[in-house]
Amino acid sequence: MSYHQAEYDEPLLNQFRSGSTYRVDTLEHTSDLGIPQKIQRNDLNIPDIAEYDVVRHFTRLSQMNFGVDVGFYPLGSCTMKFNPKFADQIASFSEFRDSHPLAPEEFVQGNLRIVYELQEYLKELSDMDFVSVQPLAGAHGEFSGILVARKYFQDTNQPERTEVVIPDSAHGTNPASAAMGGFNVVEIPSDGDGKVNLKALEAALSKKTAVFMITNPNTLGIFDDQIEKIAEMVHSVGAVLYYDGANFNAILGRTSPGRMGFDIVHFNLHKTFATPHGGGGPGAGPIAVKSRFREYLPVPIVGLKDGKFFLDYSAKKSVGRVSGTIGSFGVLLRAWSYIRYHGADGLKENSSFAVLNTNYLKKKVENRFDVPFYKLKKHEFVLSTANTGRRATDVAKYVLDHGMHPPTVYFPMLVHESMMIEPTESVSRQDLDRYADVLISAVDESPERLKERPLNTPVTRIDEVKAARDLKVRW
Amino acid sequence: MRLIRCAVLEVSLIEIVLTPKEEVKTKIFLFRLSDFVTRQDEVDSMLDFLGLHSVDDLFAEIPAPVRKKNTKIHGKSGEYAVVKDAKSAASINTWNQYINFLGSGYYDRIVPSSVDSIISRSEFITSYTPYQPEVSQGLLQALFEYQSIMSDLTGMDVTNSSMYDGHTALGEAVRMAHGVNGKSRVLVPSNISSTKLSVILNYTAGLNTRIEKYRISDKTGYLDMDHLNALVGDDVSAIVTENPNAYGILDPNVASVSDIKKGALLISYFDPVSLALVKPPGEFGADIAVGEGQQLGIHLNYGGPYLGIFSFRREHMRKSPGRLIGETTDTNGKRAYVMTLQTREQHIRRERATSNICTNQALMAIAALSYLAILGPSGLKAVAASTMENSRKLRNEVTSRVKNSSAPFSGTNFSDVVLTLGKGEPEVAASLKRNMILGGIPLNRILSSPDPQRAHDFVFSVTEKTDNVQIERLISALEAI
Repeated sequence: MSYHQAEYDEPLLNQFRSGSTYRVDTLEHTSDLGIPQKIQRNDLNIPDIAEYDVVRHFTRLSQMNFGVDVGFYPLGSCTMKFNPKFADQIASFSEFRDSHPLAPEEFVQGNLRIVYELQEYLKELSDMDFVSVQPLAGAHGEFSGILVARKYFQDTNQPERTEVVIPDSAHGTNPASAAMGGFNVVEIPSDGDGKVNLKALEAALSKKTAVFMITNPNTLGIFDDQIEKIAEMVHSVGAVLYYDGANFNAILGRTSPGRMGFDIVHFNLHKTFATPHGGGGPGAGPIAVKSRFREYLPVPIVGLKDGKFFLDYSAKKSVGRVSGTIGSFGVLLRAWSYIRYHGADGLKENSSFAVLNTNYLKKKVENRFDVPFYKLKKHEFVLSTANTGRRATDVAKYVLDHGMHPPTVYFPMLVHESMMIEPTESVSRQDLDRYADVLISAVDESPERLKERPLNTPVTRIDEVKAARDLKVRW
Repeated sequence: MRLIRCAVLEVSLIEIVLTPKEEVKTKIFLFRLSDFVTRQDEVDSMLDFLGLHSVDDLFAEIPAPVRKKNTKIHGKSGEYAVVKDAKSAASINTWNQYINFLGSGYYDRIVPSSVDSIISRSEFITSYTPYQPEVSQGLLQALFEYQSIMSDLTGMDVTNSSMYDGHTALGEAVRMAHGVNGKSRVLVPSNISSTKLSVILNYTAGLNTRIEKYRISDKTGYLDMDHLNALVGDDVSAIVTENPNAYGILDPNVASVSDIKKGALLISYFDPVSLALVKPPGEFGADIAVGEGQQLGIHLNYGGPYLGIFSFRREHMRKSPGRLIGETTDTNGKRAYVMTLQTREQHIRRERATSNICTNQALMAIAALSYLAILGPSGLKAVAASTMENSRKLRNEVTSRVKNSSAPFSGTNFSDVVLTLGKGEPEVAASLKRNMILGGIPLNRILSSPDPQRAHDFVFSVTEKTDNVQIERLISALEAI
């Protein structure tokens, strides 16, 4: 398949001169609106463009952008699966879309039903006891979970618990969220199998440990089968076991954070439950907890009493609010739609196929690349291009030229020249075969030629050093 | 799973050829059942390749005690059933039978159809963070334009490419101020909402900061300069101002705060639509300006997704949270865009990052950008002026015609109007509901420091959509209390 992305020399919006054509239904107004003179604005210098030019501009820009709907997008740890269109349609119903966040409960029973059912779905899938849908992204969920743990230790009078332990394979958000919550981060190495090094964990755990944060399967795609032992170790020192749900798509219907012994969990609805990621957001990062943390959850959560849904503010020791509203309802609604469509069996199947696709693709390429931590993988696998004499970034740019998206590169950091590949369930065997062929043909290309890639994109390699030096961040 | 793929269909089962004479020729290919490849066949062949018997083998390492036995939710549905069920949930919402006077930070404004159309583009909505800039120039350029247009609107040097919402942007601003100057006291207005205060407290939970409140005048609704001045000392990290504030009042005093701030950073929480007419934070010395971008072409959505606008002075760029898009060139010298200063961010800096933010609100930033581009300066000014015309009308008509009603603050309103009514909440709420009106939230329910003296104060909000008929209905409802 030959491929070239659309290519326009698209001017910046402030270069257009067509003049606004949009007609706003507004009132006649007097010139003196009563704004105190001291704070009156003199001039408003923003672009003035005809609506047709605005639409054409953004349509052209969109054509210079790669999305899941354009092609295979196996970006590791991002779970770029197909986003069902009926979910977008549902989110566009005016009854949902135009409802005000401060509308009293009795007027928005439909919204509350959706949120309540989503809370129930998430509880059942994770085997946790209570859910708050307020956090607005995965990292925001982590931070909220950290706040819950912090409040719990304050409330139970354990001020000495100042440390959060995190494996070196963790997402960067884990240590950043822990630090934002005021904890010191203690990093522990992985063992030779890519799993938690139990000796290192043992050494790190103490009366000072507040939380151990992990994802299982981890960023190497490895399910840590020592999880029961880990939970026991963490709990025996009185610490909290936190589940980073970024990799939840690997295990739906097979196991769950609740069964594994986790206390606090976040979900990435834009990953596991297929809500569109919008070029970096919006997402949604609900958290779930075991019963003993219920009183600390962000409020409100949605309750049901006598057939009526209500906003439940009853958690007495709640951390309060982590954002302005009940949560990102438009995203929650799409996740509800996805779960409603697939049901228990469909979700389990999706996880199964995601794992099958991963292992299939791994086997297709493993005789040409190093695949460290050589084991059965779950939702993603990490290869290294080091053995090929090629840089991971060069291979990635080669992939761009073939109408598919490269893997995540240079993460996790414990593997040199790493490529982290997550196919998800939304890909045919045909595309997996093609992808394997492209990866292998990349290393068949001479290193010099590889450095010139990409060629089929609107721009060639970008000078990032210049960007950081000039810091030109506006027109 | 029975996703049937037909090998023949990929070539085309029926070929319809339009000849020059426009006569239609139809060619039908014959096929046998064995030409179909099913999903199951594909799975079986992949399992064979892996030397496995069943997909269950892929989960063999999960220890038996932690395996999930069953999941007690419903089975699969088709699309029609899901949409139908969603419609039935939508149908039990009743808010849309009411006239809306709800606001307080989130407003029911006109959303141009073109905005929805632009952010529905598959290439935008189904993409991820632009880690591969060569195939993401469209999104990157749009975000660069968003940073630029927001900086123009706020009068600030730099705007990042989005935060989750206005509240979390405010929380991050207070954290950033502490990161810049390391000081401990944070001064906020006494009428700050309980929700904003709670978010600030959570965002600063890990810092040694202390929140204190400065007075807002009971008469004008303006911040009390003398009181604020008395509180400001060398140990103040940040002064938070709001314009308009929780009383809906446009406050001229916010423009004088930078004169008395000493070593503190001035954080200005603004209403983006008001900035069409109101002096922007950058013109009165704000160091960080944050606001809720929902009003800029984003539907209310019962709470999100919204948009946190985050602008700041250039000198603080390295302490700022969130993603920044920078302009640069490619190897041929062609203009190009890329994420820059990533060394501040969590995926590089981990626990020493300026923030943990990763996912942001990129799509909503494009909505706000296209809204501003479509309206242009004249359109945005018209929206702001109509809003103010409506809030003045509502305030004047109610206070002149409804017995025992008054406006407690003398300052000018933007969207929100606080009215003192003759009765308490139960009577007011009942009459509003009878008259099919939403709004009139008790002011004390919004404030972080409820005031017993204000038990009869209620908030009503307008936009450019509010009309005279609606205001008349509100007056009837208030007269009937």
